[in-house]
Amino acid sequence: MTTAGAARQLIRPCTLVYLVLVLLTGVTWAVGTAGLGGLPVSLLVLAFALLKGQMIGDWFMGLRGVRGIWRWVVAIWLLIPGGLVSLAFVLSDRG
Amino acid sequence: MAVEQKLALESGVDIRTAGDERKPYPPGDLAIWIFILAELLVFGVFFAAYAFTRMSHVELFNQYQLTLDRDAALINTLALLTSSYFAIRGVVAAREGNNALCARWIWAAVAMGGVFLVVKTVEYAHHIGEGINLSTNEFYMFYLSLTFFHFMHVILGMVILAAVALKAGRGGYSADDHTGVETGASYWHMVDLVWLILFPLIYVMR
Repeated sequence: MTTAGAARQLIRPCTLVYLVLVLLTGVTWAVGTAGLGGLPVSLLVLAFALLKGQMIGDWFMGLRGVRGIWRWVVAIWLLIPGGLVSLAFVLSDRG
Repeated sequence: MAVEQKLALESGVDIRTAGDERKPYPPGDLAIWIFILAELLVFGVFFAAYAFTRMSHVELFNQYQLTLDRDAALINTLALLTSSYFAIRGVVAAREGNNALCARWIWAAVAMGGVFLVVKTVEYAHHIGEGINLSTNEFYMFYLSLTFFHFMHVILGMVILAAVALKAGRGGYSADDHTGVETGASYWHMVDLVWLILFPLIYVMR
């Protein structure tokens, strides 16, 4: 067995996804704790949140293994409120 | 026409999905997914309402956001993520027909949900102690109502997971029949999913 193959067996895909989710959460918290703000930072933090949401949908909810409209329900949900929140932040930034 | 396509047509299989091993429906009972969609819709409206209300009160929202405990929010986010991870491990155990392992993972998920409730209750106690309520200002109105609405969903999710764990503990699932585990886990992942948006929106974005 190759080293890569052994590593794949040691770390389940869902474990890897969990670790990435924890990492992105840490970045979000660090941004907040550092007091960073403004439109680009807010949109970046929101993008991280949407990415995390899609990872939950794909890997934890199992939508990765589904076809048709059900495959995209979480993605659609993330895009609509995510888009509206982005729009509100952009508009408020323009004053 | 390719042989596979011809055979697929003759057998009545849609050639676009012939050979596609993906399933037509998500894991778990379809009814829970209708419920999940309804819940997501409500939370989505809440999120948009928060962001558009903030447009008229940017300074107020930024000022009072600083009064929130981001460390507590981090602990809660990690608790829910870990809980979701435990739930998916429980689903995997159920698919392998291992009821005892499934029960242990799901109880662990419930315990992490308990961590969330304790931390959030401490946060609420702090706010109440400072005399903060829904009428204090627009920011706290959204913060308290949104997070408490989510808090209630955490409680419901824990009740569902506890029922799943109890049934698994009695050997109630098998490799062929574990829809209940997938159903409970799907609801729990939705609770996690909503918090993953709520956390940056309320606690970080400014």
